[in-house]
Amino acid sequence: MNPIDLALRNATYKMFVELGRAPSAQEVGARTGQGTEEVKASWRRLHDAHALVLGVDGSILMLNPFSGVPTRHVVEANGHRYFANCGWDAFGIGAALHVDSLIRSSCPDCDEPLEIPVRDGLPDKTEAIWHVLVPARDWWSDIGFT
Amino acid sequence: MLLFRSEAHLDRWLDGRPAGAILPLTQLARLADAWWSDRLAADWQPHSREQNQAILESVGLTGDFWRLG
Repeated sequence: MNPIDLALRNATYKMFVELGRAPSAQEVGARTGQGTEEVKASWRRLHDAHALVLGVDGSILMLNPFSGVPTRHVVEANGHRYFANCGWDAFGIGAALHVDSLIRSSCPDCDEPLEIPVRDGLPDKTEAIWHVLVPARDWWSDIGFT
Repeated sequence: MLLFRSEAHLDRWLDGRPAGAILPLTQLARLADAWWSDRLAADWQPHSREQNQAILESVGLTGDFWRLG
């Protein structure tokens, strides 16, 4: 990963954390002094390196563990409400921020809400479980499905 | 990679389809911490496949299902 891509990657994460949403390429360009097209080209290289995931329009779809689009997994942390890509990423947001969090999700079977406080890295006692269908070797074959 | 209220709810949702892997949330939290805790670090560098495999193994996730490639 070249130094410019790494710097733009770090700036994109920093802005996502601050804003509570995915920044646009224009916003990252304005923050870093890069042109919008340079940011888009860098994001494409980062996408190819699995450092982030772009949507078909070139915007941020996943900045793992954060999601750039609404999902069923909402995480309250750091004074924001972030969307997570999946159940694993929902735990990852508090871990990445090094703060306690409240995970709000729902059970795919019954659609009942799931609220899971995470304090000092551990969830409150619960019968809830995490299920991963796809074997690890195939996670990036279709990251959206994974 | 979904959260379910319990294994009974997962079984009903699978409706006879084979399950993948199931983790209690305490183990998932340990995995998340090991996998994501450096994600916002100023000196972050991409993990190698070997590093990620070691993280999985560090929280007890071994065997063919957890082999990254």
